[in-house]
Amino acid sequence: MGLFGAIQTSGSGMRVFRTWLDAVSNNIANLSTATRTDEAAFQAQFITANTIEGDGDVGQGVQVAGVVLGSAEGRLVHDPSHPLADEDGMIRMPDMDLSDQMTQLMVAQRGYQANLAVIERVRDAYSQAVQIGRG
Amino acid sequence: MAIPPISAALPALPTVPTTSVGGPGAAAAGTPGFGDQISAALNNLNDLHATADSLAEQAAVGTLEDVHDYTIAATEAAVATELTVAVRNKAVEAFQEIRRMGV
Repeated sequence: MGLFGAIQTSGSGMRVFRTWLDAVSNNIANLSTATRTDEAAFQAQFITANTIEGDGDVGQGVQVAGVVLGSAEGRLVHDPSHPLADEDGMIRMPDMDLSDQMTQLMVAQRGYQANLAVIERVRDAYSQAVQIGRG
Repeated sequence: MAIPPISAALPALPTVPTTSVGGPGAAAAGTPGFGDQISAALNNLNDLHATADSLAEQAAVGTLEDVHDYTIAATEAAVATELTVAVRNKAVEAFQEIRRMGV
């Protein structure tokens, strides 16, 4: 795995969680993006990840496999005063739950911090190993 | 704040001839000499520092996507430097021990 294998693996984890944070922030920013009823609604973005196989026994982290879009149906909301409303006064709002997005935000943040803790511990362990036999 | 690369400041290290010592030297004829290994380690260290410098530039300009990429590269360069310095200290200690043996 090399001298810095653990640090690179955690770095890949942080990259995936950072992408997840980007996706969640995009979803939350577009919470009120309305579209006409004959168009697709704003689709929530979900990140899928898959593991990176290592040469030996131990895996080498994770990578973003792709972005999966949520439902395009959305919710039909009655709002005749909206500029995009059709003749029935309906607009299409995204079908996203704010509490679900906030939960994803917390999980992504904790995942990012967990990988950060791994890097710090590994760096401390290696620095102490270098001290063996000194003085 | 570019630090000049280490390899520019070093003359090429002489390779230790492996057959000059006899028994253990003949057994180690297939392996690279100690000088070669030190050169390879220093080039590796130089690459780590160069990576960290280029990521620092990207971070300053604002094109860096992942903040942790730069800090991880800086940490790796620091740990590798510590390790190289420890290797050098041990080698110098061993040399001085041998020199103190007396004629």
